[in-house]
Amino acid sequence: MKRRQLITTALAAGALAGLGVPLRARGSDADFYFTRLSYESGDWDVDERAPSNILNALIEYTTIRVDLTERVIALADPAMLGSPFCYLAGRRLLRFNHAERQNFETYVRNGGFVFIDDCNHDIDGLFARSFEEQMAEIFGPDALAKIPNDHALYSSFFEFDGPPRTSQELNGWGDDLVHEYLKAIEIDGRIAVLYSNKDYGCEWDYDFRNKRFMVNDNTRFAVNIVVYAMTS
Amino acid sequence: MAIMTEQEAKDLLTRALSFSQADECECNLAGNNQGNIRYARNTVSTAGEVSDVTLVVQSSFGQKVGTATINEFDDASLEKVVRRSEELARLAPDNPEFMSILGPQEYTDTPTWFDSTASVTPEQRAEFADASIQPSKANDLVAAGYLEETASFIAIMNSKGLFAYNTATEANFTVTIRTEDGKGSGWAARDYNDVSKLDTGAASAVAIKKATGSRDAREMEPGKYTVILEPAASSTLIGNMIGNMGQRQADEGRSFLSRKAKEGETLPEDAPRNRAGEKMFDERVTIFTDPAHPEVPSAPFGGDGAAVGKTVWIDKGVVKTLPNSRYWAKKTGMPYVPQPFTGGGIFGGNLPWVMEGGDKSLEDLIAGTRRGVLVTRTWYIRQVDPQSLLYTGLTRDGTFYIEDGEIKFPIKNFRFNESPIVMLNNIEELGKPVRINGSLVPPMKLRDFTFSSLSDAV
Repeated sequence: MKRRQLITTALAAGALAGLGVPLRARGSDADFYFTRLSYESGDWDVDERAPSNILNALIEYTTIRVDLTERVIALADPAMLGSPFCYLAGRRLLRFNHAERQNFETYVRNGGFVFIDDCNHDIDGLFARSFEEQMAEIFGPDALAKIPNDHALYSSFFEFDGPPRTSQELNGWGDDLVHEYLKAIEIDGRIAVLYSNKDYGCEWDYDFRNKRFMVNDNTRFAVNIVVYAMTS
Repeated sequence: MAIMTEQEAKDLLTRALSFSQADECECNLAGNNQGNIRYARNTVSTAGEVSDVTLVVQSSFGQKVGTATINEFDDASLEKVVRRSEELARLAPDNPEFMSILGPQEYTDTPTWFDSTASVTPEQRAEFADASIQPSKANDLVAAGYLEETASFIAIMNSKGLFAYNTATEANFTVTIRTEDGKGSGWAARDYNDVSKLDTGAASAVAIKKATGSRDAREMEPGKYTVILEPAASSTLIGNMIGNMGQRQADEGRSFLSRKAKEGETLPEDAPRNRAGEKMFDERVTIFTDPAHPEVPSAPFGGDGAAVGKTVWIDKGVVKTLPNSRYWAKKTGMPYVPQPFTGGGIFGGNLPWVMEGGDKSLEDLIAGTRRGVLVTRTWYIRQVDPQSLLYTGLTRDGTFYIEDGEIKFPIKNFRFNESPIVMLNNIEELGKPVRINGSLVPPMKLRDFTFSSLSDAV
């Protein structure tokens, strides 16, 4: 069963069915819509132009039917449970409140996919530390682990030999390291939480008109992430 | 007597040419009076005046060319310098790119000379410095500045009857004002042909505001930001771009205007191989030079005496004209496009270009910005890649974070990596052009300007 069907089935069967939560967005024939999760504790509204560039890449390279509007949904809102893909990013504290924690766990355990992006590109910054603590509390201390650079994620659409570098990894900010790996929580052999300290959101945060100045479109890796999320 | 009248110059050059035995001879006579005052740590440190006149004689036999220089003008000296140029010409190998000298030209009048600037006295220079030092002291700040005014003339005469003459004046002022602890820095520069427009007190007030406002700068992560570049922040980058617009550079595949052959296409050998005619920039980008411009005038002729009028280099985003040499123009069948004479020596002066803008002031641009970075000035600019015209450099003397239309706090300086071609495609808004470094440049609001790392300098 594909992830999307799984989520839909889980939702239909679950407690949410009675709450009138729309499983699909209104009037949407799209296979994919971009959900950004907002949360109470920190700054979720970062890298505001990244989503449109990711959507642009999906249209450019894939046949996925894409809803063109980014949706910002509170993690505390059960509506997030219907998302085919979620993006959660920030620089500051990430401390889930009760509803946020519950939705996160439900979504992840039921086959959802969350891409977490640490905008500090730190291994021990505030966002990184607080997020990792949360994951350890919810999923156990060893759940979040490095994934190998030949993971299916890196060949789900374009071929990569590991996570592509970002230009800001050595800019004197963050820990000044090139992170040669991504981490993930896998559920039933599939990535459910993909975690990056590479600050891809910042790498993809530019005016869409400037893609033409790039030798290689740097949002191609976002296509891999989305295609993996949709097909694994 | 460094500034000769037109008649004096004509008489001297006629005398010099009378000694010529070469096939062709061209003489350039240039002189200037320059006065300056320098101050640092709120005290004048040096002041002086320099005066000189130089005659350059260029003789040719066939395609052999020789040049000699002198600054004595009695008959014996004039004959000596002409003979010397002829001896050198005879010794020289043929120049395969030799072009015969030009005949008489017609020139327009250009408003380059102001008596006010030519007659500045040492006392006035002291007053200009004082107007900058006093407010700096009063604010417990430390000022360092330099004022220089120049009155100059250039005359060209050749054996084909060409005669060109122009006089010009210019005043240049720069000031850096810092806090006593060295943690805040501000800067301002002004330049005019007419020194009566110079207000060193007003310029210093800008530097004072920047210095006190840039103390305790916070760190912001490098990245792509919407920026407002003050004219001093963009003028070097755009000036570099204009300086790299040469047709030959482009045709020979060495510049951002080189046209690359498409697959299966063979480009002709002796025809232009450049991108003239292509739209490469935002349609709001128009850049021209005009020797008769009231604010940024120049001599109405090039270094070879060719008449120069208004030339549009970029028109509504389209590359219109590429400067070339007479040799390259002939070789490629293009019209000769000279640039105005802007001073002698290998450095010459700055080409006085004009970039059109809008009506808004810098303050208006700031007021209309949701989030962005205000850059006072850039410096230490070096080329990274000539084909994409990528440059790197640093901000300095006041970099600020803007939010909701207001300057919120000073931020640490950045290193940037950016190409003026990309910049001029990323225009959000242009303000009213102001004169800087001899050119008219609008303040610009640009999206996605790339700051690559932090800089510890102030």
